[in-house]
Amino acid sequence: MAIRRRTVVSWAAYLAGALRLSGVRAWAQTANFPADRQDTLHALAAVVLPAELGAAGIDQTTEAFARWVRGYRAGAEMDHGYGMTRIRSKGASPAPNYQRHLEALHEALLSGDADSRRQAVTAALEQAKITDLPRTPDGRHVAADLMAFYFRSSDGNDLCYRAAIGRDLCRGLDGSEQAPAPLKGRA
Amino acid sequence: MPRYESDVCIIGGGITAAMLALKLSELRPELSITVVEAGKRLFDTENRMAYRQRTIDYAENAWPGDFIEDQAAQGVISRTMAVGGSALHWGGTCNRFSEEDLRLKSMFGLYTDWPLAWTELEKFYCEAERRLGVSGEPSPFAEDRRSEPYPMAAMAMTHNLIELKKWADQSGIPFQTTPQAKNTEPYDGRAKCIRCNTCSICPTGARYSPDYTFRRLLQRKNFALHDQTLVRKLVLDNAKSTVAAAEAVSYQKPDDPVEYRAPVFVLASGYCWSPHLLLLSRSSRFPNGLANTSGLVGRYMCGHAFQSAMIEIDARIYPGMNEQHGLISRQFFRVTDREHFVRHDLRVWESASGHEPRLRGADGRILLGDSLLADWRQRAQRGTARVRGYYDVHPDRDSSLTLDASIKNRFGDPLPKIEHRLDAATQARRDATREHFQQLFQKLAQAGNGKVLNTGAGNYLDHPAGGCRMGADPASSVCDSFGQTHDHENLFVAGSPTLPNAGCTNGTLTFVALTLRSAERVAARFPKG
Repeated sequence: MAIRRRTVVSWAAYLAGALRLSGVRAWAQTANFPADRQDTLHALAAVVLPAELGAAGIDQTTEAFARWVRGYRAGAEMDHGYGMTRIRSKGASPAPNYQRHLEALHEALLSGDADSRRQAVTAALEQAKITDLPRTPDGRHVAADLMAFYFRSSDGNDLCYRAAIGRDLCRGLDGSEQAPAPLKGRA
Repeated sequence: MPRYESDVCIIGGGITAAMLALKLSELRPELSITVVEAGKRLFDTENRMAYRQRTIDYAENAWPGDFIEDQAAQGVISRTMAVGGSALHWGGTCNRFSEEDLRLKSMFGLYTDWPLAWTELEKFYCEAERRLGVSGEPSPFAEDRRSEPYPMAAMAMTHNLIELKKWADQSGIPFQTTPQAKNTEPYDGRAKCIRCNTCSICPTGARYSPDYTFRRLLQRKNFALHDQTLVRKLVLDNAKSTVAAAEAVSYQKPDDPVEYRAPVFVLASGYCWSPHLLLLSRSSRFPNGLANTSGLVGRYMCGHAFQSAMIEIDARIYPGMNEQHGLISRQFFRVTDREHFVRHDLRVWESASGHEPRLRGADGRILLGDSLLADWRQRAQRGTARVRGYYDVHPDRDSSLTLDASIKNRFGDPLPKIEHRLDAATQARRDATREHFQQLFQKLAQAGNGKVLNTGAGNYLDHPAGGCRMGADPASSVCDSFGQTHDHENLFVAGSPTLPNAGCTNGTLTFVALTLRSAERVAARFPKG
């Protein structure tokens, strides 16, 4: 009986240590994202974001995504909904998963031609069984999440409609009866 | 044990409590008022823009800390428990009911009538609109005649709404913009709307929120707000049927119970927690709880059902211009064919539904970058209208809120369980109602070369109310039209619980109007001078 208790205690201690260790690692990976995979993330962005953004626009979006990851707060309260109420909190940081995905894509994205890079990303998404863009990035795959980050954003919405809608901005009421102005620099 | 005494003790800290306390403080400035609220006060307006951004970026709660983990109810529509209540994050819609809602029995032979004349309620609608700051335009229907204009001009229609109105009007059904408690000009010390598109967390105060009223009340020396304090039981005077005290506990000092004493108590805790407290307050003299001689506390729980559709139309819609502002038709508030009773509102909003970016094309292949954008643009050529009708359903007596002994909070109190049930007449109309909406959605679609993308039916009752329904007869109601309980002359129930039925459109303005009327009766209990 005493042995069993000791075993349980030692396993609990090991588990707590492992959790602490993985927690620290996750925190570090979040705070430093994308760490030494900056080039891979930018190469991925060039594949999954629209060329219409231009090289500078793709870089800006990539940096914004990295900032988003660094600003992620695991365990933060989520909206508890209306009608179907549930207390929910944000899951673990997606950063460790993203680092693994970038690691796996590193070679394919930094070598080969555009077609092979697209094929590598497509294969990774198929393998991860991603069926659609998440509403907000959920950590299942960095490629899907980077696309969701941009295409579901206010800026992505503007690009689709080629109009300065500014969905997430506070824009004032004046002039809202007019169609939004065309996006500057884009026909 | 700390004991607090005041002239009026209001239990609950939502929009009803705010309006009641404000009006009482104006009618009788000498009265001391204490509001006791279980949740926290979230008055950090300076952080609201940041909370809004976190909600947009991360889907985080825009009102952090606005719930109490173990103070939950089964069947409740919102977990929000904070000073300001659900109206912290409401959309601001301020539709009025219509006379039909108050005259179901006499006009249609259905359910019941309210013990209140429409002209009487209409006066208090005007007051509610003034106090909340409602912007709106008059209804085109004579039956919706107003005795006062809206305090503010209607919010201008966006390009999207103009397009949607052009389309909807082709159906022959008249639409107007939905009245809202949102400022189209600076009003009552709050800013003009700057179209942030996130009304559930308005960062500027342009959308009315009760926390603004509470902060104003706190400047008065005889107003007290005790938040994070849960009232667990109402206690009667010895040998009398008047309420003597409210027993409470502070979440910060749970081992030190608190007592509130007042000549008048008002339950302003909404449709769920008001009947819950009455049921919890059972004693040997009132074994079924307080105000419950009729056995109707926690009965006739009501709300409205809804049908919705997404309709693709030939219009250039730019999703995100002002998603919270929509159109309403009140045409179906009236029933022309009494044999086929279907009453409902009809609402239209801009939407991106069916035209959102997607990862896989129609053939299932993964789309990346340019191909995803091209697919999205191709599908976004046409616009989408989100259409919804709240329809009138009537509760059965067994539509109930009961105490669930199997789930208790940290203090050992059983928590509420709400189970809505519709009366037999409503159930008999179910298929005809569904058919009516299907035809209506098709009619709207056809008006603009449109296509119904999908339809749906709500699986809960929205804008819930009831549980302490008003009536003239103490045998069939809990309180009178002022919310004064039949059993205890110094105990009032305010707002949503008193509604016999929940109409067929948003209820908040009606809750507030009834509360403002109750305030006059509460004030009248105190002799002047």
